[in-house]
Amino acid sequence: MTTSAPSRTQPSTTSKVGEKRVTATLSTQRRKERLLATVFLAPTVIGIFVFTVVPIVGSFLLAFFRWDIISSPRFVGLDNFTSLGTDRTLRVAFANTIAFVVVAVLLQLAVALALAVLVQGHLPTWLRSILRSVFFFPLILSAASVSIIMSYLFNQDFGLVNQVLTGVGLPDVPWLTSGPGAQLLVVLVYVWQNFGFSFLLFVGGLASIPRDVYEAAAIDGASGWRQFRQITFPLLSPTTLVASVMAVISALQIFDQPYVLTRGGPGDSTRTVVMVIYENAFQQLQFGRASAIGIVLTVFIMLATALQFRLSRRFIHYS
Amino acid sequence: MSEFTRRSALGIAGVGTIAALTAGFPRLTGRDIPGRGSDDLTVAILGTAQDAAARQGLLQAFHAEHPDIPVRFQAIQGADWSDFFAKVLTLVAAGTPPDVVMVATEGAQLFADRLAEPLDSYVLRDADVMQDYFSDVHPALVEAFMYRGHLYQVPGDFNAADMYLNLAALRRAGLERPADDWTKDDFHTMLRAIKRTSPAGTVPFYWTNRLWGGVVPWLYANDTSILKQTQATGGEWLWKRFYSGDPAAAGRAGGPLWLEPNALDPRVEETFDFLRRIVAEGLGSSPAQGGGDTLVPQFASGRVGMTPAGGYWVQGLHEAGMPGSAYDVQFFPRWRSQRAQFGAAGYAIMRTSHRKDEAWEWIKFCTTRRGMQLSIPDPNTTPTRRSLVDAALYRGKGPAHWRVFYDTLDKFPGTGPIPAPPQQAAVETALIKNVVGAVTGSAAGTRGAMHRLQDDLSTALGSDR
Repeated sequence: MTTSAPSRTQPSTTSKVGEKRVTATLSTQRRKERLLATVFLAPTVIGIFVFTVVPIVGSFLLAFFRWDIISSPRFVGLDNFTSLGTDRTLRVAFANTIAFVVVAVLLQLAVALALAVLVQGHLPTWLRSILRSVFFFPLILSAASVSIIMSYLFNQDFGLVNQVLTGVGLPDVPWLTSGPGAQLLVVLVYVWQNFGFSFLLFVGGLASIPRDVYEAAAIDGASGWRQFRQITFPLLSPTTLVASVMAVISALQIFDQPYVLTRGGPGDSTRTVVMVIYENAFQQLQFGRASAIGIVLTVFIMLATALQFRLSRRFIHYS
Repeated sequence: MSEFTRRSALGIAGVGTIAALTAGFPRLTGRDIPGRGSDDLTVAILGTAQDAAARQGLLQAFHAEHPDIPVRFQAIQGADWSDFFAKVLTLVAAGTPPDVVMVATEGAQLFADRLAEPLDSYVLRDADVMQDYFSDVHPALVEAFMYRGHLYQVPGDFNAADMYLNLAALRRAGLERPADDWTKDDFHTMLRAIKRTSPAGTVPFYWTNRLWGGVVPWLYANDTSILKQTQATGGEWLWKRFYSGDPAAAGRAGGPLWLEPNALDPRVEETFDFLRRIVAEGLGSSPAQGGGDTLVPQFASGRVGMTPAGGYWVQGLHEAGMPGSAYDVQFFPRWRSQRAQFGAAGYAIMRTSHRKDEAWEWIKFCTTRRGMQLSIPDPNTTPTRRSLVDAALYRGKGPAHWRVFYDTLDKFPGTGPIPAPPQQAAVETALIKNVVGAVTGSAAGTRGAMHRLQDDLSTALGSDR
């Protein structure tokens, strides 16, 4: 069977009909595709709506009420927000959280980058695979379980860590019962458990840097450190931005590790904002106030993320 | 050969998905959980599914007597009682509250204030049966569950903070089990001897930072507390009817009230300062947050000289392989008084329950000798019925002076519950967060910590819920 090509100068009536048919077929296909897309997207969209949008809206509304679960909610306007200004514990928790974010995120990114560079270097493939799994493994563990195990390991009197320290003649460290010790331990446990995600991002980022750039630099006599500084680091900057944004958002919501390890103590030294939200809601039965703090934290996270993107304009290099 | 199209593949995948969803429907909806969706009487307990399964004997015995009242345990896990209560509250918020909840002293007044049904009318209705129970139970335990003149729970078990003694550590130090009326100075002297003679790594006195068994027994021994305790009026209906003529019930009324902070009482500071000196001398652990789980294996392996714990430890030490002859127990040391602290637990009926009468039948059964025996087959707590705290319970497990557990109530009339107002969770948080600062710094620092504790307690008690 042969078909004749339509004239370019004088389109025939037949070709117009054909175009209509093609258009109609395309339209039907689009409808089908739309339907299929809707069917496939529906579970996710419904899930997001039910489990994310509704709670967010509910939490926002709740922030204007006083509610203890048991009695009926009572509208209090902005009281829940205005009372936050005089809450000393919340102020300390915010300061702790910000300090934690700065230290933990920097450490997390540094460790992840260093290990990613190490793994992507001249290592046998089998060792590379093992190391990738080992570094990612802590991320899949439950934070509560990890924290419980760590609380045994770092127990001042009976913990293995202090036994090792004293065994080599060093003084034992009050990991859980001194402010600095507890803060350091929370950071260490958090970073150990979470650097795997940034590590994976960096591994992907490193793999995407063209080898010929390094080869050219090597021919020009650039040392390994100089290659890292002037090729790897700048070309990884988009990855670094993503990793840092994710790390900051995650760190601002830290709860499990300090809750299980120290319950916020000693004093308030490891109390975080999310812990204060939990205490307000489930210990003091002030769900409206807890929601108000949650909204403040959300705004804070949004501002921090926006700030990161703003600052990134100066430092991001795209190859 | 026919072509296997994409459409066919999608169709098969769709059918497979629907089949999987249908097959998994009971799991997805929780219908495969025994009793879910049924009209059983739901009893919430703090623990795991295994803890619930361990109570099958109790369930069967109850079912034999009340075949018309099906009961289902709802095991709710929690790090501590506060965590458990928070989860019960979420069930309330979700509209699926249990009918009956096992509530410890920590939550007794919260439940009484907001969630629980008073039991007065039930107790009076079945007065003859309940007389057998009350005659066997120390009135201090019952008063602990009275709130503003009404009884909200019938205590089934309790634990007073007594002192566990590692006999090997004592022998090395040339010490005997102390006398019943030993003092806090005797205690201090013993710690020094234990430290002097024990191998490195031994902790002469280990204590944890929490409401039960932390600083509170020392405060009670010094005849003070972090909260001022007063007594609610009322309660005569119970004392006159069930404890008439019992000298231990004299002066009891409508239950304890904790309405004001008391951290600035000089005796509170004095108590904290004593503990600070113990820690500073290296005689006591710097108290970390936590329960006794970490401690049981350490005590069983001989690395702890003395520690405060209740009767619940006996089973744990037995399971850790420590024979009853390797340790012993004694009352808490005397200071200005030898008043001790305890925590108890019992079932509360939820106000929201539609099966209150059936719930009462459950509670009543659990308070009988048989019910309590089935509830507490091992010494992992202390039964509130005096007659059940006997040699049979501790046979093969020890300790030699197991009578101490109940005698703590009988010998020291002022013994009472840990301070647990309706805002207990916030009070406990306030206490815990200030203890370490108070006992790990200088003497001057202790005073500052007391002021912070007073402020935090005021906030906790004044929190508008």
